[in-house]
Amino acid sequence: MSSALIKCLNLAKTVGNATVRSFLAAPKQPWQSCSAAALQTPHVQMPMQMHTSAVRRDLMEFFDDKKNWSENEVKVGRAWRTEELRIKSNKELHQLWFVLLKERNMLLTMEHECNDKMEVFPSPERIDKVKISMENLETVVRERNKAYHLLETGETGERPQKAVKNAFGLQVSYKACEHALPPFMNLKWIKSRNIGYGGRAVNRFLLKYREKLYNAKRKAKNRSRNEVMMILRRNPNFDLDVLRRQFPDVNVDKLRNEDKIRGHYVPKVGV
Amino acid sequence: MSTRWYPIYQRGNPQLRVFLPNFWMKLIRPTEEQPPNVVTFSVSMEMTKYDVRNYLEKIYKLPVVDVRTRIAMGETKKDQTYGYITKKDDVKLAYVTLPREESFVFPDFFSEKAEKQAKEEKSLDESKAGFRRFLDRNKKRPGTPGWFSI
Repeated sequence: MSSALIKCLNLAKTVGNATVRSFLAAPKQPWQSCSAAALQTPHVQMPMQMHTSAVRRDLMEFFDDKKNWSENEVKVGRAWRTEELRIKSNKELHQLWFVLLKERNMLLTMEHECNDKMEVFPSPERIDKVKISMENLETVVRERNKAYHLLETGETGERPQKAVKNAFGLQVSYKACEHALPPFMNLKWIKSRNIGYGGRAVNRFLLKYREKLYNAKRKAKNRSRNEVMMILRRNPNFDLDVLRRQFPDVNVDKLRNEDKIRGHYVPKVGV
Repeated sequence: MSTRWYPIYQRGNPQLRVFLPNFWMKLIRPTEEQPPNVVTFSVSMEMTKYDVRNYLEKIYKLPVVDVRTRIAMGETKKDQTYGYITKKDDVKLAYVTLPREESFVFPDFFSEKAEKQAKEEKSLDESKAGFRRFLDRNKKRPGTPGWFSI
């Protein structure tokens, strides 16, 4: 621990005036601005762990910097992207998670107080940036977890999913979860399962439901075809390759022989 | 400490650690008078008092003596025209007791803002006075432009 502290402090010295947290938080590209977590928490993380007597200081972690209290706008960078987080180690991701967690608590505290006092909360998009960063971090951690489990066990390690049909006969994805009792003893689970469906009402519902889906598809197809017809009617020299790429469902070549694409004009005849 | 799915704990198993806690806590101004070493938080609805204690002790390095939680019911309001009732979300409040020698006072954020606004209003009044003086110059010569002067 002490060697790690000394190493971090030396790293901070070598970086210059940049703090360890700023170094951890800053993206690699120099032209991009710092993220929200770096600007909002400029304190070095390690010296905070060294001195343990600043209890009031620790409670003040729930509040913003004093110079931001009377501001109408606080300028921060953008959220962390997934590509930036993928090149970080697990330890750095873990540290960044707690930085973002404290940042989110601070922003929620300030927002609550501003709402209570009916004052303007400066730069409310900071909360969204922190939220997006946390979602991206969770995505990266999940990717690594899945990769580790696939390498070690051949399975993803996530909850097993199975496609089952619910009481309406529609297919849903059932996520298995762990139970304390075996299946044959678990009466509550047995009762909660709706195995199978049946009855005349369900069959009639399914017929109408499929008809509805089919009608939606048919209308979409007709809409595309009508659009192509109108384009060709108004612009006879339209590029057919563009139409084929943009409307893959429509048979453009067959449509060219239709009378409906003929416009209201007299064609020029070379006399 | 997390809303995610974890394996079921059976007695005798090792206690798993939560690496990415996603509960939130915010420090709010107490509505009643409190002793100086009691701090009021609004926390996630899924948090228990043990979660609150662990959160503050492990993440924020605060010494915690006691934690009490309660769920405050959201206020209900009846629409005057159509009569439907709306209800705000319930909120879980945590009252954290710090050691006796600690004391916490909720800071006042907006006093500096009031001073700054007063200063801005003063400068605005000065601008208005200057503009009024500019208009008064040609008060006795209607129809002449403002720059017309001896």
